[in-house]
Amino acid sequence: MNILIVEDESRIAKRIERMTRDILGDTLQSLKHIDNLPEALKYIENSALDLVLLDLNLNGDNGYDLLTTAVSESFHTIVISAYKDQAIAAFEYGVLDFVPKPFNRDRLEQALNRVIAKEKTATNKIKLLAVKKRHRIQLIPIEDLIYIKGAGAYTELYLADGKKELHDKSLEKLEQLLSPTFERIHKSYLVKMSEVTEIVVKSGTKYMAELKNGEFIPIGRTKYKDIKAKWL
Amino acid sequence: MNLRFLPCFLLVLLLATSCSQSPVFKENETVFKVGDQPEWAAKNWNDEDWKKGKPTVYDGRVFWFRTKIDILKAPESLHPYGLQLHVYGEYEVFWDGVLVGINGNPGQEAILGPVGKMWATFSIPTHLTKKGEHLLAIRSSLYYFPNHTGIDELEINYYDELLTDRLIESSYMHLFAGAFLIASFYFLFLFLSNKKEYATLIFSVCCFLFFVLILTEFMKAYVPIHYSLHVVRLRIIGILMLGISFLIPFYFSTQFPFPKRKLLLTIYVGVLLFFFLSKYVFELTANNMALSMWLFSFGIVVFGVYKKMKGARLVLLTLLLSVPIGFVTPFNKSLFAGFSLILLGMFYLLSLRIKEQRLAFENTLVQSTRLRLELLKKNIQPHFLMNTLTSLIDWVEESPKKGVLFIEALAREFDLFNQIEDQRLIPIAQEIALCRTHLEIMEYRKEINYSWEEEGIDLGQKIPPAIIHTLLENGITHSLPLEDNSIKFKLIFESNGHERCYTFLTFAAGVRHATSKEEGTGLKYIKARLTESYHSKWDFTSERTNHGWKNTIKIYS
Repeated sequence: MNILIVEDESRIAKRIERMTRDILGDTLQSLKHIDNLPEALKYIENSALDLVLLDLNLNGDNGYDLLTTAVSESFHTIVISAYKDQAIAAFEYGVLDFVPKPFNRDRLEQALNRVIAKEKTATNKIKLLAVKKRHRIQLIPIEDLIYIKGAGAYTELYLADGKKELHDKSLEKLEQLLSPTFERIHKSYLVKMSEVTEIVVKSGTKYMAELKNGEFIPIGRTKYKDIKAKWL
Repeated sequence: MNLRFLPCFLLVLLLATSCSQSPVFKENETVFKVGDQPEWAAKNWNDEDWKKGKPTVYDGRVFWFRTKIDILKAPESLHPYGLQLHVYGEYEVFWDGVLVGINGNPGQEAILGPVGKMWATFSIPTHLTKKGEHLLAIRSSLYYFPNHTGIDELEINYYDELLTDRLIESSYMHLFAGAFLIASFYFLFLFLSNKKEYATLIFSVCCFLFFVLILTEFMKAYVPIHYSLHVVRLRIIGILMLGISFLIPFYFSTQFPFPKRKLLLTIYVGVLLFFFLSKYVFELTANNMALSMWLFSFGIVVFGVYKKMKGARLVLLTLLLSVPIGFVTPFNKSLFAGFSLILLGMFYLLSLRIKEQRLAFENTLVQSTRLRLELLKKNIQPHFLMNTLTSLIDWVEESPKKGVLFIEALAREFDLFNQIEDQRLIPIAQEIALCRTHLEIMEYRKEINYSWEEEGIDLGQKIPPAIIHTLLENGITHSLPLEDNSIKFKLIFESNGHERCYTFLTFAAGVRHATSKEEGTGLKYIKARLTESYHSKWDFTSERTNHGWKNTIKIYS
C-alpha cells in the first residue's frame, strides 16, 4: 500500500508513521510525510496512492481545500484532526474515517483496517461526492445520484437529471463509502435502493432491477439471493 | 424619561400665569411742577400751566406731579383698593388731597440718607374710590437720579391682592429657581466625579447663574431696595445675562462642534461685550444679549441638525419654541421661559451624552470580558491542546523522561496564563516568560530548534497580556524552519519621550501570509487589547521581510 501522511506537527507525524509501519507491516509499500499544503497537493497529483492520512489544520491553512481534492481522487482519505467538530463535515465529504487527536495505536489500527478489509461504513454520513473537472472540483449531492457503473479503474455516476459524471474512485471504494443506501447488485453496478421499483425476471433467468426513471439495471446471478433476502 | 413634553407643559404653565383680569382704573397724563405747596395735593387745583413730560430736577429739590385717574369700578364695601407704585425717588402720596402714604423723606434725602423702597403699596380709603375721576398727587424729590422722574409703573387693585399676587408670583419663580439650584449642584458633583466632562460643568454653571438671575429679578417683592441701589441690581442682572449668554452657545459649540470654533466664539464674545458696555439702557442691553445668544445658538444647532448630530433636532425645537414665548409674554417672563426652555434643551443633550457614555462603558466591560475569554481559550482550543496532548502521549510512550520535561513546560505555561488571566496589563518579564515556555512546548511538538532573543527590554514596562505571545504563535504557525531546522524570534524594545516601540522579528524560511480565520482572530485580539489599554494611541503593523516577518507595536503617550 502507498500511503501519504499530511501533518505539520513533526512529533505527531512521526507517531503516525511509526504506528502505520507497525500495523501494516509488509503490506506497506511506501510511506511519505509532507508538512505543508502546496507540496501535498503537488504530490497527490503526481503519485499513485492508496491512502492519505490528513490533518485538517495545516500551518493555519484550512485543510478543506486539500480534503476536497483528496476525496475526488482514487484513494481513500482518513482525517486525523484535533477538531472533533469537523468530523461530521469530513464524513459528508466522503472520508473513510475520522481519527480525533489524541489517538492511540488501537484507534489508528481500526481506521487502517477499514482500508485493508474494505469494510463498509456502518452509518451512512456521506452527503457529497467530489468530482474532478477541468481546473476545478465539483461537489455532487448524493441525493442526485441514482446509480454508479464501474468502468475499469474509474466509475460513471448516473445522476437524476440524466447527466453522467466520471469519478476516479473504484466501484469497490465507492461501495465502502455509500453503503448501505447503495447496493452492489452487479459486479459493475452500484444502485441506490430507494430508486428501485421492481425486480423483473427476464428470459433465461436474467434478473433486472427497474428504476423509477424506467431504466433497467442487471442483477448479478450471485447477488440475487442476497438482495432478495435483504430487500424483498 | 421622555423630555419632549416638558417644554410644552412649561409653556402652558407660563402662559396661564401671565394672564390677568381687566383693569379697574384708567390712568391719564401726568403733569409736573418744581416747587412745594401743600395746596397742590388738592383734587381740584388748577394744573393747566403744569408741564408735561419728564423734567430733570437737581440737588434733591422737591417737585410735584399730578395724575388724573378714572376709577372704572368701585370696590366692594370694607375691601379697600390699594395703589402700587414703581417710582424713583422719595415721596409722599396724596389721593384726592388726602395723604395716603409716605415713602422716604422728600426734600431731605441728602440730610437723612436713603430711606424707602422702589416698589411700594399703599391702601386707599374706601370712600375715596367711588366710580369716577380722582387725583393722584405725589410730592417727591430725586437726589440720586435726577433724570429718572415719572411713574414707571402704576397699579390699582384690591390692596390685599396687590400684596399677595406679587408674593405668589415670586414664590413660583423661586420654586423654579430651586430646581435649577439642585440641577446645578447635581451636575457639579457629576463633574467633580469625572473632571474630563466639561459639558457637565458648563451646564452646572449655567443652572447656577440662572438660579441667581431669578433670585435677583424677583427679590424686589420682599427685599426693600432703595431707588439709589436699584442700579446695582440691574448691573448684577446684566452681568448674569452676559455669563449665561456666553455659556449657552459655548455649551452648544462643545456638543455640536463646527469649523473655526475659536474664531467665531471670540467674535461672539466681542459682540456680547459691546452690548454689555454700550450706553446703559438696561432692557435694551439685556434684550440684545439675549437675542445674540439666541441667534448664535440657533446657528450652531442648525449646523448640528445639518450634520445630523444626535439630539440637535430637539434642541432646535426648544430654541424655536422660545421665540413665540418671547413675543407673547412680557420681558421678564419671556426671558425666563425662553432661558428655561433652552436649559431644558441642554439638559436633554447632557442626558443623551450620559446615556452614550454608559453604553460605551458597558461595551468596554463586555469587550474586556470577551478578551479575557479569548485569552483563556488560547490554552484549551483544540488545535493547541489536542496536538500538544498527542505529542505528549508520544513522548511519554517513547521517552518518559523527556515526557516529564514536556509536562513541566506545559504546567508552567498554564500557570502563567492563570496569573495573567484577569489583568489588563502585565509586566513585560511575565510576557517574555510566557513566550519562552510556549517555545519550549512547541519545540517538543514540532521538533524544530526555536530560539529567542531580546534587545533593549525595559523590565519596568507593562503591556497587555499575551499580545507578543499571539505574535509568536502566528510566527510558529506560519513559518517553515531554516536549513539548519531552526527558527529564531527576536523582541526589540525602543523608547523615546513620546513613543514606545516593540519590534517582533521572525527569522525563518518560507513565511507565508496566511488569510485564515485563526490568523484573523489573533490580530483582532492584539488590536482589541491595545485599544482596551491605550484607546487610539497605538499603531500596529505586520509585514514580510527578507528574513521572515516583522511586527511593530507602537504605543504613543
